[in-house]
Amino acid sequence: MSLLDVRDLIVRFRTADGTIHAVNGVSFELEAGETLGLVGESGCGKSVTNLALMRLLPKPAGRIEGGQVIFDGLDLLTLSEAEMRDLRGKEIAMIFQDPMTSLNPVLTIEEQLVETIRAHRRVSKADARRRAIALLEMVGIPTPEIRLRSFPHQFSGGMRQRVMIAMALALEPKLLVADEPTTALDVTIQAQVLDLLGRLTTEGGTALILITHDLGVVAGMTQRINVMYAGYIVETAPTPELFGHPSHPYTVGLLHSIPKVTQRDDEELIPIEGRPPDMRQAPVGCPFASRCTWRLEVCWTDNPSLRPVQAGARLVTTGPEATHQIACHNPPTAEEATAGRPVRPGFRPAPAPAGRMDELVLLAEGPA
Amino acid sequence: MSLETPGVTAVAAAPRRAEERVSRGLWSDAFSRLLRNRPALVGLICITAFIGVAILAPVIAPYGPYEQRTGGRLEAPSAAHLFGTDLLGRDMFSRVLYGAQISLQVGVIAVLMALVMGGLIGALAGGLGGWVDSVLMRVTDVLLAIPGILLAIGIIAWLDRGMLQLMLAIAVTYVPIFARLLRGSILALRESDYVIAAGAVGASRLRLLVRHMLPNALTPLIVQATLILATAIIDIAGLGFLGLGPPDPRTPEWGTMLVDARRFLQTAPHIVFFVGGAIVVSAIGFNLLGDGLRESLDPRLKR
Amino acid sequence: MLKYIVRRLLATIPVLLGLSIVLFAFVHLLPGDPCTAILGQRQTPAACARLRENLGLNDPLYVQYLDYIGGLLRGDFGASVINSKPFFDEFSVRFPGTVELTVAALIFAVGVGIPLGRLAARHAQGWIDGLVTAISLFGISIPVFVLGLVLVLIFGVTLGWLPTQGRIEARAGFEPTTNFLLLDTALAGRWDLFVDVLRHLILPAIALGSIPLAIIARITRASVIEVSNEDYVRTARAKGLTERRVDDRHIMRNAWLPVTTVVGLQVGGLLGGAVLTETVFGWNGVGRWVVDAIGNRDLTIVQSTILVFALIFLIVNLIVDVGYAFLNPRIRYS
Repeated sequence: MSLLDVRDLIVRFRTADGTIHAVNGVSFELEAGETLGLVGESGCGKSVTNLALMRLLPKPAGRIEGGQVIFDGLDLLTLSEAEMRDLRGKEIAMIFQDPMTSLNPVLTIEEQLVETIRAHRRVSKADARRRAIALLEMVGIPTPEIRLRSFPHQFSGGMRQRVMIAMALALEPKLLVADEPTTALDVTIQAQVLDLLGRLTTEGGTALILITHDLGVVAGMTQRINVMYAGYIVETAPTPELFGHPSHPYTVGLLHSIPKVTQRDDEELIPIEGRPPDMRQAPVGCPFASRCTWRLEVCWTDNPSLRPVQAGARLVTTGPEATHQIACHNPPTAEEATAGRPVRPGFRPAPAPAGRMDELVLLAEGPA
Repeated sequence: MSLETPGVTAVAAAPRRAEERVSRGLWSDAFSRLLRNRPALVGLICITAFIGVAILAPVIAPYGPYEQRTGGRLEAPSAAHLFGTDLLGRDMFSRVLYGAQISLQVGVIAVLMALVMGGLIGALAGGLGGWVDSVLMRVTDVLLAIPGILLAIGIIAWLDRGMLQLMLAIAVTYVPIFARLLRGSILALRESDYVIAAGAVGASRLRLLVRHMLPNALTPLIVQATLILATAIIDIAGLGFLGLGPPDPRTPEWGTMLVDARRFLQTAPHIVFFVGGAIVVSAIGFNLLGDGLRESLDPRLKR
Repeated sequence: MLKYIVRRLLATIPVLLGLSIVLFAFVHLLPGDPCTAILGQRQTPAACARLRENLGLNDPLYVQYLDYIGGLLRGDFGASVINSKPFFDEFSVRFPGTVELTVAALIFAVGVGIPLGRLAARHAQGWIDGLVTAISLFGISIPVFVLGLVLVLIFGVTLGWLPTQGRIEARAGFEPTTNFLLLDTALAGRWDLFVDVLRHLILPAIALGSIPLAIIARITRASVIEVSNEDYVRTARAKGLTERRVDDRHIMRNAWLPVTTVVGLQVGGLLGGAVLTETVFGWNGVGRWVVDAIGNRDLTIVQSTILVFALIFLIVNLIVDVGYAFLNPRIRYS
């Protein structure tokens, strides 16, 4: 049995402006100790997915409206608030994007570390303090006894993220969710923090979900990648397979829209035209259709489900042997994936049906 | 409730950017948003009623404001006297209507005076900076240190009673608020990219201030002026209640009317309710409208 | 931290200087003839000469100003131009009444306003929030004297539950020593009168406290909602802390900061509002004294009262700012 099993998760936000369809039926699994990358543009639902499994969606707007989250044999969505609280921080920990704002400015590092430990273990303050010192040492903070008494604003961004990591790993959780952990940091610090994160989760046997919009970050850090778009997982594969054989038009687009150091002259940068769909509309058809150059007529009306790339392949959902799956009616061929555009003679993307004209006009004018 | 979840901000943020709103007409845009804001709409109705009553008082009022013995003394409300009568048998309904005129007139003029004086101080302080800024800001500090109503009382004591003095006294208490507000906006705008850009292409300091900064600093001033009108109406009545209102004690000023109301609370409680009600309704109106304006004029504001 | 306090102290010096100039001008630079302005109908050549002598109006202006400042520094706040009694003689009798009133109003405003604001924030956008918003809108829109009169009417005249005039039952013939009547009655062991003084305090304190209450509730609500959306609150929840702990330690510790500043600023409004409240409730305090002084054109009394009130306001806000710095480690350690 896997450590985490998310099935058909649906999350919506009910706001004054209408309903936001943030996550529209997401399923994935994770083994103990496995590392999984969750990649997509901002707004694609990757952070919401993980806030949902922690049951930390902003109240009262954010609601889980369907699906199951099984963690370590427990159905998280049916637990009482108190049972869920016991799990947070202890079994599942999170690290957030901005270390500048994720630590409480009026409490010392010591207070924040100690309260985490003492929220879950019956230990004395002195013992908790000793543990806090060991944790700071572990994440490479010099003179931890002294730094313990500091306030967050007395640390640099990188140091603060190290403190966040120490806090997240304080109770040796089984799962760590890191949401864009290095996005707010200087490029030079990013590698150090990622390296630390990778080393500590490997050593502790902690499973890791790494959320990022940066394919470069997940490439070296994770065994498996889920690509998310508009609240759906559109492609999932072991990391080498995904980079070697990207098979969904969106993934292909992503890989072609970032410049590479090894860029050859004949490899051109191809931006993904248009913008993500308005999540305030209930999804119709494939969410990527309006931006996709491979789209068929069926794409406008039918949203394909996740299927193995190799038809009839045995379905493995976790580990390095996981089956490569995509949600696409008309996947690019290997040749097209390399070129970044359809190369079949005479192929033209299917025009939008009459009812979708408005969106096309908007697209033609660029973002309004 | 704001949706600061990463998954949602992008969706909400994309189509709305403040600058684009300006190009489409900040004011018409703000107005349509104002009409959708129910509390602001209530405020607008209160104020329309208040202003309408003030202007139309001579038409609506069944009696003149000074007309005595239109009925008995301190009569309770009746069909002939909707709000009853006061000690001299004057029709309270008529007096409350004319009172709106006084409050509106004194309030609006006082707030405009405060806006001009405070705006000038704020613009000079923020625009010139240096010692001018320090001196002017210390002046506002001094004014802020004296409790508002006491400052107004002091000014009236100093200048003696009179309508103009009353307006000036109210105005001075609000000068520091406008001065600080405008100075603050100018300082913030001075650092903004587009003002720096305009400066970089050679716009003069005065041009920068007048063309680029003042129009953008205007919205918070307008919002504040609306909110202050509510307080000004309350303060005018307060001074009247202390016997420092319009010099002619017969003037139908709401606060002045309440002096009698206090003495005859037992026999004529209706005076407190109608006069007090008039003050409260107009103050609520300006408060609601001010809050509504703030929300609709600032597209970035979260709901 | 020390540097911050020193800087804050130094910043008040120009304000004090400005205040002294304004208040000096208030008496010594009257528009028109000072004898007419101050004495009015009581004006006789002899009285006029005495006034000029007392105020030093015959000296050059700068000498008058230096005399004024010198007097203030020596604790001489001038004397009534009517009966020549030194300012503090009467002030010290009246001031305790105003202190009791404003402190009671502040306790009411803070004690009710902050819980209301927290309650509204916790149920943001719900009906409780709407109700609190309506209460605070009403609170800032109703003048203290109107609310005062309504309270008198309802609880005094109609229901007869509470006394509405004065600070203590006059027929008891109680002889105060400090004029802080709560203190005096307690020290004298007259608990019946202590309760009586409390009962006299209730209505005026509610009337005077309504505006600060509304403002404090609003700012508390806004502050709590803002802090609740901060990332570190999400972190605290993600750590598995109890909701209560998240609330007390992570939200309120930060939400207090803007609230303290606003509470400090309310003191000015309370002192000003006391003038009106004392008039409504026949309260023997400084406020009524000032109103009477203006009626008598006793400008030195008005002048010195304004000075004392402004000083109180400045000192309270100095203390609040230092407290703010103490609560906020970003200032404490910089």
